[in-house]
Amino acid sequence: MNPTEIPLKSPGSVTDLSIGEVEQVERALIDASTRVPVLMFYASAIVWLLLGTLLAGFTSFKLHSPDLLSNVAVLTWGRIRPAHLNVMLYGWASMVGMGTAIWLMARLCRTTLRHPLVLVTGGAFWNLGVLLGVIGILAGDSTGYHWLEFPSYAAVVLFVAYSIIASWVVLMFRFRRGDPIYITQWYLLAAFLWFPWMYLAAQTMLFIVPVQGVLQAAVNWWYANNLLFLWFGSLALGTAYYMIPKVIGRPVYSYHLAAIGFWTYAFFASWTGMQRLVDGPFPAWMITASIAATILCIIPVATVGLNHHMTMRGYFPLMRYSPTLRFTVFGAMSYTAFSLLGVVISLRSFARYLQFSEVSSAYSHLGLYAFFSMIMFGAMYYIVPRLVGREWRFASLIKIHFWASVYGIGLMTLMLIAGGMVQGLNMDNPTLPFTESTQSVLPYLRGRSLSGILMTVAHFVFAYHFLLMLLGLGRTASVPTFLNPVNPEPGEMVAH
Amino acid sequence: MKGFTPLVLGILATLAFSWLGLAYIPDLQIGHLDPQSDEEGTDIYPMPKSGMAERGRRVYIANGCFYCHSEQLRPDYAASDIERTRDAAPSSPPKWGDRRSAPRDYIFDRPALLGKTRMGPDLANIGKAAPAEEEAAPAQPSPAPPAAPAASPPASNASPPPANAGAQQNAKPAAQPSPQTPAAVPPAANASASPANVAAQQGAKPGAQPPAPPASAASPPQTTAAPSLTASPSDSPAAYSAAWHHQHLYAPRSLNLDSDMPAYKFLYEKRRVGGEQSADAIKLRGEGAPGEGWEIVPTYDAKCLVAYLMSLNQSHPLNEVKSAAAPPAASPAAAKPAAK
Repeated sequence: MNPTEIPLKSPGSVTDLSIGEVEQVERALIDASTRVPVLMFYASAIVWLLLGTLLAGFTSFKLHSPDLLSNVAVLTWGRIRPAHLNVMLYGWASMVGMGTAIWLMARLCRTTLRHPLVLVTGGAFWNLGVLLGVIGILAGDSTGYHWLEFPSYAAVVLFVAYSIIASWVVLMFRFRRGDPIYITQWYLLAAFLWFPWMYLAAQTMLFIVPVQGVLQAAVNWWYANNLLFLWFGSLALGTAYYMIPKVIGRPVYSYHLAAIGFWTYAFFASWTGMQRLVDGPFPAWMITASIAATILCIIPVATVGLNHHMTMRGYFPLMRYSPTLRFTVFGAMSYTAFSLLGVVISLRSFARYLQFSEVSSAYSHLGLYAFFSMIMFGAMYYIVPRLVGREWRFASLIKIHFWASVYGIGLMTLMLIAGGMVQGLNMDNPTLPFTESTQSVLPYLRGRSLSGILMTVAHFVFAYHFLLMLLGLGRTASVPTFLNPVNPEPGEMVAH
Repeated sequence: MKGFTPLVLGILATLAFSWLGLAYIPDLQIGHLDPQSDEEGTDIYPMPKSGMAERGRRVYIANGCFYCHSEQLRPDYAASDIERTRDAAPSSPPKWGDRRSAPRDYIFDRPALLGKTRMGPDLANIGKAAPAEEEAAPAQPSPAPPAAPAASPPASNASPPPANAGAQQNAKPAAQPSPQTPAAVPPAANASASPANVAAQQGAKPGAQPPAPPASAASPPQTTAAPSLTASPSDSPAAYSAAWHHQHLYAPRSLNLDSDMPAYKFLYEKRRVGGEQSADAIKLRGEGAPGEGWEIVPTYDAKCLVAYLMSLNQSHPLNEVKSAAAPPAASPAAAKPAAK
């Protein structure tokens, strides 16, 4: 295939292949209406990403060098870690996910975004909520619940902000044109309906009318895994279902498979929460149900994977040129890896060793970074040029971003899995002193810190590139920025 | 997809189903447990923690201790948690626990800090690891601190050791609406004196026996270990005593070179010795010692944190769980079915 044929900017919606001048103008109008809020969400997300990355590096180094800056309460490891986590979850991932969702919703509903300033207000409140929450955590106000450490004053602000944003996104449905609801819209709508429910349910059952004892942990992990799967996972899968067909200019292989994938995902992924508490102090049926659900999640993984694969078949060489495709496909493949690792760590025979080891950290990073964040990077490479009217300035920076991220997350995953296995085996051997297990994982944690440096480079490069785009310093060109020259040497031409 | 309404209904139904299954039904099943007690309504377990320990829980959370320390032991068939022993005591070290954790252990915990990773050892029973009779520990050369007698005149069972000052004080500021009994007994629900010392962790032993020799009932190794612990070298406080926790929090590697725990120096205060050295000052030797004329004393938060740690104890038998090291038949509570 001739890469110049990549229909990156060509009109032609996935749902409707009829092309016309009118539609092109219409699409430009829709993009323009989303410009301010989406760029605002993206810019905030990137600021949070940089902050979260610095906190992450700090967390990582302190874990194997405990005396590093440990004498200040605010900088103690146990505060930096949740600060990092929550900045990433609510600052980076939620912001970038919602920004992408706004744009996709407007595009797919084929409606201009009315009153975009409402969304800007929502975004500002959301930022305020995250800021309050992080300050609260650093000040020692953490609630003690995983992934829900934000104190209640921050949670209230977040929820108000969320209500504003979500109602606006869902309202776009009211003004949509064209009735077939595209796959992406299922996922996005679902994500926006699920999030407030799980957030409200968790806040109610943990803080307002708290449940007793261990059930708090159950509700906590029910929330955390739902946040991971139903909120971030849905946003990412929906985005991938848009970007892959769009970039290669070919409709999704099978709607039917997509429907199976969607409903099984909704059904099984929402039951996985107790997988994090294998053999804990709970009725065994709860844990078994979650393990079963985790295993059954292979069904949506297989259908989604198959669907993407069949859509992409014959078009894989395009990953050489399109940054969006490269990031998105990497993310979609990581979804499979993430789910398989989830199955492994929840099986009782493995959980015996891995339950309390660093492998659970590898699992979260695979889900939130290799799967979710990479797909979002891909989406940003696609969307931002359409909002600022410029193309990305340097292909080289995109390449650095991609490879530093891939090697970073790859190394991190390997280190945490390998280290976690050593740690877990030593921990389960009662003849060894306990410190043997922590000592044995330290070399791997140092390796993880190295991977963090790679990812830090990737994020700062990306942020710089994004800043150039915001300042209008992108390229003015009619063709998008390709990762490699579009007219390569004949020998390099990919046979097709 | 056929239309908008079925889509939305399906979306809402799937999450509702999972909420029903993983939150609502479990709440019906184990969401309203009562403490267990024996037929006379005594020997109640678990008991609410003292106010000081509850404040310690907030300190524990604020500084993220629960990211590295779990508070749950898995059953013997699932892991070797209950075979594991603690590192710090060289001779006959205390075990992590004798039985798995059960939902009833946590009914007063808010939040229940089960934990997710173990970069540090499990703490579900760290309070029980304390020397059973801390006053027997000559490792504390200093005379009884002024605080201890004030907090707890001769209690019903083991009398207050200097090292246990933090824990003993629990009784004083306890938030529970109870009369201040002279014993270090936090109050209310307990009908008998002996099991009442949730704060001091001495009483959570089975058996509504008369107070005098009670501590030995459930954990013979424990009690016998105590004297040998005191023989442990040098000036370090007896392992897992309150004084030991303070030194460990202040300078972890002064007690265990392999420890990966950050120091929590900000929970301690360095000040000039005015007159006599404070009883609760950390006795650090060598490197890190405060220097002549200075001393390092715990802040109130640090005392609360240690009180919380000393209160963590799941050693009391539960009827629904079998203990690995079943106490000798002498233990009445284990033999009798409890009221609930």
